[in-house]
Amino acid sequence: MSVEARRVARDEGAFDFAYRAYAPRLRAVAFAVLHDRDAAEDAVHGALTRIWSGGGYRAERGPLLPFLIACVRREAIDALRSSGRRQRRELRAAAIDPVAVDPIAAIDPLEARRVKRALDALSAPQRDVVVRAYFGGRTLAEIAADVNVPLGTVKSRLSAALRALHSNLTEGTP
Amino acid sequence: MNHVDDDAELYALGLTERDRDAHIEAHLAECDACRARVVAAEEAVAALSAALPAMPPAHARRAWIAPLATAASVVFAVTAGVEGIAAHSASAELARNGAALSAMAASHFGHTTMTATQPGVIAKAIYARDGTWCYVVVDGAPRGSHVLLRHGGREVDAGALEGAAPATLFTAAAGKPTGVAVVAGARTIARGTPVY
Repeated sequence: MSVEARRVARDEGAFDFAYRAYAPRLRAVAFAVLHDRDAAEDAVHGALTRIWSGGGYRAERGPLLPFLIACVRREAIDALRSSGRRQRRELRAAAIDPVAVDPIAAIDPLEARRVKRALDALSAPQRDVVVRAYFGGRTLAEIAADVNVPLGTVKSRLSAALRALHSNLTEGTP
Repeated sequence: MNHVDDDAELYALGLTERDRDAHIEAHLAECDACRARVVAAEEAVAALSAALPAMPPAHARRAWIAPLATAASVVFAVTAGVEGIAAHSASAELARNGAALSAMAASHFGHTTMTATQPGVIAKAIYARDGTWCYVVVDGAPRGSHVLLRHGGREVDAGALEGAAPATLFTAAAGKPTGVAVVAGARTIARGTPVY
């Protein structure tokens, strides 16, 4: 087997492993944005294909799963932006209470409880933008319109909120 | 390029402009401080994902799923269960495989127990009599095993088995292969002959 063939085989092995190990979590991430099963599957597959065809992933980049989740979100958000799915999704999303984080229904109930505590420890405006951006799948412009603040404020608030959330999660580990 | 600054968190959330993303990623490869900040943000976002509900199962509201899953589990109980593949896990695997179920719903199918040439391997092929699909279920196959379909004198690689205990592969447009083989690397570990 040539070096190139070996590299391809290893990459395909890594792809396969990532898909099997993380697909349920990645699908949930894509579904939270798209609210459509098939589109969510496509987004997961598209993101993984893009990663492995575009030079792959190196351990120096950081932990694999968080990196994959970020890639899947980008892919899903792109799919949403480029499709007529948006309006349909918004109608459906409007029926969902964006503030409820229900640990019982979560993929990982224990971790979800920890996340809920970390979210609850944020200031109300910070928690609000994180929940809208992540659980509500809203864009920055939509959040700015929703909460009636300038776009720049949304950006800095969301940035600060995520840093605070990370610090709550790492310090507040029970 | 400049440091990522507040875009680190927005990038981790997928909320940066796409034409900036390639620059950000390139910058991360050469700037430890920005990479650490993005990684921290990605970890926070990943933690949030644990609080998401799981994606609802495929076609949950289609009425035919329940009777069909039952029918499929009966097929396995009769043909496979006694031979060692747990009918329960086989039917659970089938329930997850919407493509296989909908294909079964739409066609007549046959099944064959494949002859294992490696100890501990149990394999079955379920196939549409009109050649539109083939579903291979294998217990005890090494990870990464592939399915080959024989057409005339030629064997075509249908792809890698997925999952474990049992591993499965669903192939649409299978044609009417005269032989189905499961291979691990260069070794054939099971072989079967569909009858149409």
